[in-house]
Amino acid sequence: MPIWLSNLLLLAGCAALVALLRAFLFTERSRRALNRLRRDRVGLACAALVALLLLIGLSDCFQINPRQSALDYAFRNVPREEGYSAPLATTTFNERDPKPLNGRHLLGTDLLGKDVFLQTLKGCKTALIIGGFTSLIYIPFGALLGILGGYYRRWVDDVVQYLYSTVASIPGILLLVAVMMTLGKGLDRMAVALSLTAWIGLCRLVRGETFRQTAKPYVEAARALGQSHWRIVVFHILPNVMHLVIINAILGFSGLVLAESILSYLGVGAPVGTPSWGIMIDSARMELSREPAVWWPLAAASSALFLLVLSLNLLGDSLRRAFDPKAG
Amino acid sequence: MNGNRTSLILSCTLAVLLALAGCNNNPHPRPLREKRADGTPWVVSHLRIPDDPRSLDPQFSYDTLGHAVIAQIYESLLQYSPFKTDPYELEPCLAEGMPRRIKNPDGTETYEIRLKRGVFFHDDPCFPGGHGREVTAADFVYAFQRIADPAVECPVLSTLQEFVAGLGPAYVEARKAGKFDYSKPTGAITVRDAYTFQLHLLKAYPQIQYWLAMPFTAPVPREAVEYYNGKNGRDPFKFHPVGCGPYRCAEWARSRLIRLVRNERYSATRFPAGGWPKADDARFTSLAGAPLPFLDEIQFAVIRENIPAWLLFRQGYLDRSGVGKDVFSSVITAGQTLSNELRARGITLYRDVEPGTFYSQFNTDDPLLGKNLRLRQALSTAYNEDRANELFGNGVQLKAEQLLPPGVVGYEPGFKNPYRTQNLDQARKLLAEAGYPNGIDPNTGQPLVLTMDVVASGAEDRQRAEFDQSQIEQLGVRCKIEENTWARFQDKQINGHFQMNTGSGWNADYPDPENFFFLFYSKNVPPQGSNYVRFSHPEFDRLFEQMATMDNGPERLEIIRRMNGILVEQCPVIYSFHPVAFTLNQPWLARVSSNPMLTGGLKYVRLDTALRAQKISEWNRAPAWPLWTLGAVLALLLGYAIQWARKQNV
Repeated sequence: MPIWLSNLLLLAGCAALVALLRAFLFTERSRRALNRLRRDRVGLACAALVALLLLIGLSDCFQINPRQSALDYAFRNVPREEGYSAPLATTTFNERDPKPLNGRHLLGTDLLGKDVFLQTLKGCKTALIIGGFTSLIYIPFGALLGILGGYYRRWVDDVVQYLYSTVASIPGILLLVAVMMTLGKGLDRMAVALSLTAWIGLCRLVRGETFRQTAKPYVEAARALGQSHWRIVVFHILPNVMHLVIINAILGFSGLVLAESILSYLGVGAPVGTPSWGIMIDSARMELSREPAVWWPLAAASSALFLLVLSLNLLGDSLRRAFDPKAG
Repeated sequence: MNGNRTSLILSCTLAVLLALAGCNNNPHPRPLREKRADGTPWVVSHLRIPDDPRSLDPQFSYDTLGHAVIAQIYESLLQYSPFKTDPYELEPCLAEGMPRRIKNPDGTETYEIRLKRGVFFHDDPCFPGGHGREVTAADFVYAFQRIADPAVECPVLSTLQEFVAGLGPAYVEARKAGKFDYSKPTGAITVRDAYTFQLHLLKAYPQIQYWLAMPFTAPVPREAVEYYNGKNGRDPFKFHPVGCGPYRCAEWARSRLIRLVRNERYSATRFPAGGWPKADDARFTSLAGAPLPFLDEIQFAVIRENIPAWLLFRQGYLDRSGVGKDVFSSVITAGQTLSNELRARGITLYRDVEPGTFYSQFNTDDPLLGKNLRLRQALSTAYNEDRANELFGNGVQLKAEQLLPPGVVGYEPGFKNPYRTQNLDQARKLLAEAGYPNGIDPNTGQPLVLTMDVVASGAEDRQRAEFDQSQIEQLGVRCKIEENTWARFQDKQINGHFQMNTGSGWNADYPDPENFFFLFYSKNVPPQGSNYVRFSHPEFDRLFEQMATMDNGPERLEIIRRMNGILVEQCPVIYSFHPVAFTLNQPWLARVSSNPMLTGGLKYVRLDTALRAQKISEWNRAPAWPLWTLGAVLALLLGYAIQWARKQNV
């Protein structure tokens, strides 16, 4: 794909996402929730951190030329070294033949001499791709099935229940590994594999909430006014379950980032050359057993993973509280 | 009643104390005996194998693990000299002398072999009276029959049947009949008398001598194969080996232990009378001609994980250890010597270059890489093997500049391959001559894209693949990595479904150049052979056919040099390294041979049991302070409890 097209698609995707969020945030309920969220300092700090990490990820998706992303361009002056070097060291981490470094590295360099700080930032891109693509696949699917099951009930609900019960009965990680072994390596394939299991939680949640909503007077009123099922589902029920979808998406995002790391750790995740926190952690198995141990790639990747997952979880909690109708 | 209880408590306490007194951290089972018949100590060596061998049948087993044990139990007509490794040399073992080569007028060849007298199979219930009988020529007839027997599934039959008369037809006939007829001669061997036989070859094949040093051609007693048939509670033969080697298998507890015990009637070989390096004169002169083996018992402990094995070695419970990657940096210093701590313990480090070569392969059938010689040369020139060695081989592997490893006839020390020292300017020049200036494909205006297949089963494989990718991409070419499982990688190699791959290599079956150059002989393209790169060069083929059947000599060396030159210039592979193995011996274990081809070398090994006992006691002495501290804490607690109880009563 030409660079201009991939960049254009990226911008279009971002614009669509922003438009969707804006549309959602213009509802009365969302505005109230946002007001509540503004008072939640932890939530706001987490939102800012998540936004920062996602922006870093986006900047690495944006190609300047075939070999450089915007992030690479920003770090173009960071030199590559001969091999491991400790954080802020002046020579390579090699007892046999230490060589002077071409520059200073905040978090040191890895086996191939790549700057660990840059690699950690580039891990955001993998997290973003996995979290983003998987969410794009599983959220519409899970939400649609949940609403359909909850709204139509009877045999439609039976089918939905049968589907998610069947998939849920297979151990998740085994299913993921099996699918990855079948599809082969690649971030796109991993996103497909992860979506296969990720939709179940959302579907159950939305189905339950739809049950609750359909029993409410506004749905009865819409029916009495002769509105079509499609209109009731899209214009009345969907906006009222949307907050659950958003909270689930945010909490799910952290789960997906973790799952990517686990799959990469198991060797069936990101392909060779992809900067991934999971791969960095996997490599640490070897690095920690060296004498003296190489700890900085593990520390950097684990910290980044911990930071993103914790922030997403706290943000998810804050959003749940903000959207809670019982809250003041 | 009270008296009974007291005596019960006392007995229990005594039993517990006695049991505790018998406890130690020695993980090994007790040796078969404590002393020899003459009252001297019974010498046991403790070694590790990482898993159970699949089989101890010499005609079937074809893995390093199996051969490590089999080579102590079975012996063959010839063996590798323990001291001559450059080049490797064969010497008689069960044979009285080296086989006599007879060239027949019809182009066939015959090797006449005389056996040593007084060589006996191990004592075993399969023989009348339990006493092993003498090894005769008939046992070699039987061994070659077993090679051709489809039920044995000998893995080298496909190679041997091309050269040894009668094996192929015998196999086909047995397949048709559904059973091998052992009463019918195969035609491979003619028995002249009980101690003399002739081996018939279909064509000249001097490498047959190396096969005569392998376990595949070792004599096997027919009585044992028939007796140990897996019926009536008896093991199958593959689990109950009976040979004529220096050790007999006394016990095989699966997943735990293989115990070998000295063959009291062993007489086939003695300690060499000379030939060792001058520096070892003091060590070996007194041993010249001494009867073998020196050890009374060998315990192969099955230890699957590396770390527990390393810890046992450090405690002194294993006599020998390799140096795993995970502990490499703590064991080997920057100067490739032993760390001070281990040296202070008296441990010795040995560094041996193994007879193998590793490389990256180009598929010469590929429309792009196959036809573009300059492109292959450019990629080879761009690759920095020294850095790869530093990053992935701890800087200790021997950089390969040619196909043949050290020790194999034809290896040229100091040879410089013009395409194997990284020179990016030269590589870019070659790339431009190949039609891709700066790595750009003029047809598309985009970077040239190459696909590299790798086996990526772990973090290190992935890092290696990334490094290989970076070596190619520094020329401006794009390199796509295809990750494979080992099985899929093999499939692709066999079917030719790859453009280039890394991580391939060859370890010598026998140290003859034919065993390496055959990898590039055009008639060996899979499924016929292992020419995975599909190299086809008429001149090379002609030279190979000539060289393969020649005896070593200046003429053969000249041909080998020309063949090496063709491979260097044609670049069907990018040579990487010859593997280097590090071995650590405990201070009580004297090493005799450094020959990696000599798998049955444990018969030469000596061991100082007194020193071992002393060192084990020193290295495993538990510090007393935790016990004293615990005692003091308990005493304090007890004192406090007594005081507290008294106060309560008051």
